[in-house]
Amino acid sequence: MTNLKYMIKEAFNNLGRNALVVLGAILAVFISLTLTFGTLIFGEIVRVNTLQWAEDVRVIAFLQDDLAVEETAVLQNEVASWTEVADVSYISKSDAYDEAVILFADDDSMLSVLVDNPDLLPASLRVQPVDPADYEVIVIRLSSTPGVSEVKSAGEAIDAMIALRDGLRIMFWLLAVALGVAAIALIANTIHMAIYARREEIEIMQLVGASNWFVRTPFLIEGALEGLIGGALAVTFIVLAQQMAVDRLSQLPEWINLSIQNDFILRQGALVLLFGVVAGLVGSSLSLAVHRTLRS
Amino acid sequence: MIKLENVTKVYPGGTVAVKDVNFEVAKGEFVFLVGASGSGKSTLIRLMMREEPPTNGEIWIAGKHVTAMPSSKIPYLRRSIGTVFQDFKLLPTKTAYENVAFAMEVTGKNRSVIRNQVPQVLKLVGLSDKAERLPRQLSGGEQQRVAVARAFVNRPLILLADEPTGNLDPATSVGIMRILDRINRTGTTVVMATHDHAIVDAMQRRVVELDRGRISRDESRGIYESRPVGTAATEEVDLSEEPAAEQEPESVDASNSSSDDSSDSPEDIE
Repeated sequence: MTNLKYMIKEAFNNLGRNALVVLGAILAVFISLTLTFGTLIFGEIVRVNTLQWAEDVRVIAFLQDDLAVEETAVLQNEVASWTEVADVSYISKSDAYDEAVILFADDDSMLSVLVDNPDLLPASLRVQPVDPADYEVIVIRLSSTPGVSEVKSAGEAIDAMIALRDGLRIMFWLLAVALGVAAIALIANTIHMAIYARREEIEIMQLVGASNWFVRTPFLIEGALEGLIGGALAVTFIVLAQQMAVDRLSQLPEWINLSIQNDFILRQGALVLLFGVVAGLVGSSLSLAVHRTLRS
Repeated sequence: MIKLENVTKVYPGGTVAVKDVNFEVAKGEFVFLVGASGSGKSTLIRLMMREEPPTNGEIWIAGKHVTAMPSSKIPYLRRSIGTVFQDFKLLPTKTAYENVAFAMEVTGKNRSVIRNQVPQVLKLVGLSDKAERLPRQLSGGEQQRVAVARAFVNRPLILLADEPTGNLDPATSVGIMRILDRINRTGTTVVMATHDHAIVDAMQRRVVELDRGRISRDESRGIYESRPVGTAATEEVDLSEEPAAEQEPESVDASNSSSDDSSDSPEDIE
């Protein structure tokens, strides 16, 4: 008990004694975790926004003109039951006509053709995939479904969107991992400096018979504290920055959404804090191990 | 108390520091390790405190077989060994009192025990009135006394000293030797590596001489006889308990020039 009190006291004393080095470590953690956390948040913003694109992905199945109303309903139910399909909506001939009239409001020649032949446009099913990447499966299944005359989708656009989304996801993860590793390395380096600055004291502790844990624990506590403080600063900074961005950039185009679910921030923030502490512990353990191998 | 069997230490790079050394030290003995620089004295001390393991051979310290001791056990071995070095190894940010107390704190001693023991040991080495000084406010001799106090405060079975008087002038060295002698008389085994002729000759204790890593002489009441040509040990050393003409060197700190001689004649144990 006295030991633990002594070690915690030692850890805090060291924080004060090596104020500059400690400040450096906290700043290092703060910066690398801010970048890590910022990357996660930005990645989430991108994910939420690309999710909206995904909602706009549709496969259109034009129906044969001779399909009865009951047959159409059966077909719609069948397609809706497919696992890769999120939603199916039926666009009747008259719906299609109404849409086309609005679409070609400025084009008199098209309008006159439409008005003369209100049955020209076929009825269709608009199918929304669960995962945009599944659109091709849906296209193939629809093509071989009786009653469907033609299947259309913006294939290339969807492919490009999926590639962009996956690329961004991977990029953000790699960035977050790289920055996390950098945080650990920076903490390890700082603790290493702290140990180097105190090598005389450590040597003397070992001379008079201080147990290994007695020597190490203050450094571990120090590392964990530096990680915790740096992590807390990073989380605070990012949360404030994100809120400011939402407030200040309210005049952004509607299709960009900067706001993020609170529970995402809470969960990721807690993870970043935990990561800070773990990085501190790992960093100080690493430098202790290095120190030990250097000594022997 | 100490036993070395066929101990050899080869450093990386092939330097043979100690070769096939056998020797035994009984409880309560006082042994001088002598020999030229590089003869292996310091290596033997480091092997005995298990700062490093021997390349070959077996070592027993205070009843423990330390040759293959796992590093987690070494701290407990160290608690039965006191160590004193040429460069004192004091913590510059701690006072004399705190430096001595440190040795008890790190081993988890009760605070009341520390408060009781530290002043006693500081009194033994004659530094009661300088307990609150920082090392830089003490003379070399006084710093070494703090180091000896720290080595002794946990009442070790063995005290290992590596050139404890190497940085001190002859008169100050005598003061340190008196304290080591007193500690030895409490039953603590003392092994001291030195090349101080005058001290070895005056103490008339067991002398183990090393020559290029091997023991070349082991006498129960020896002198430092193998003097290099041209360095005659002319100083007369008086180790008697009567107040001697012992003088402390001027303190490093100018503010510490108060000539209080009381600290130079340490009181007896108990």
